[in-house]
Amino acid sequence: MTRPADVKPREGERPGTRWEEFEVGAQLPSFDFTISPEIVAEYHRAIEQEPAGYSLDGRKVSIPSVLSVYLMAVLYRRYPPMQGGIMAGNKFRYYGAISAENDTTVVASGEILEKFEKRGRRYVRYSARFARLDGKLIAEAENISTFPN
Amino acid sequence: MNAMKKDYHITQEMIDSYGEINGDNDIIHYDVEYARKRGFKAPIAHGLMAQGYASALGAEKYGAQWFTRGEIEVKFVGPLYPDETITVEIDDEGRLNVAAGERTCIVGSARLRDAG
Repeated sequence: MTRPADVKPREGERPGTRWEEFEVGAQLPSFDFTISPEIVAEYHRAIEQEPAGYSLDGRKVSIPSVLSVYLMAVLYRRYPPMQGGIMAGNKFRYYGAISAENDTTVVASGEILEKFEKRGRRYVRYSARFARLDGKLIAEAENISTFPN
Repeated sequence: MNAMKKDYHITQEMIDSYGEINGDNDIIHYDVEYARKRGFKAPIAHGLMAQGYASALGAEKYGAQWFTRGEIEVKFVGPLYPDETITVEIDDEGRLNVAAGERTCIVGSARLRDAG
């Protein structure tokens, strides 16, 4: 079982990344984590869903957005976060269900796609990829966040 | 497909619980003074928490296909505050909207790929 805090650098722990330091095209190194039934239950409680999971074809699975609690880890492991970051938007594409009954090990990686300024705010856009150990895709994501620096 | 809608009353406790599983320590979600300094009237909820509500609604709307062909895109256009009731809605064309009363907080879409 991997709690997101186990793999995600937290705000205030290390000097945060300044916007100038993000490099477009930089690869966000892969890492793995394990989503256990306990993580699914806690996540489901946090989004007001049944902790046992969602019933799908006779088995229990997680609402696929459980991956979102690991999303920023993809970015922050290479670029530690500043306090006060705000998410502007994101996109998830789901390809495979995550069990709520058994552990699922996920390999995550990503890439910095773009940085830009708009109305006085500075943004970073990056992609994330989540796959099983055998390489089978579970989800893809893109996130845009702004940081106060 | 039918439109789906669900209300949630947001509390600081819910924001804290989401922060616990999310594993962050961004003080904008719990420090009143800091949030005010950043121009908000109170600490703000995690946008991903509301996106989680929308993803759950997508599962209700699209069933099994949501888990293998679902695609959700959101733009956070306004803050979500504690002690507000928000309405999460996916209309019959897959347009997603999250609002606190008359104030729109999130716009986007929740659809199936290759669904036309």
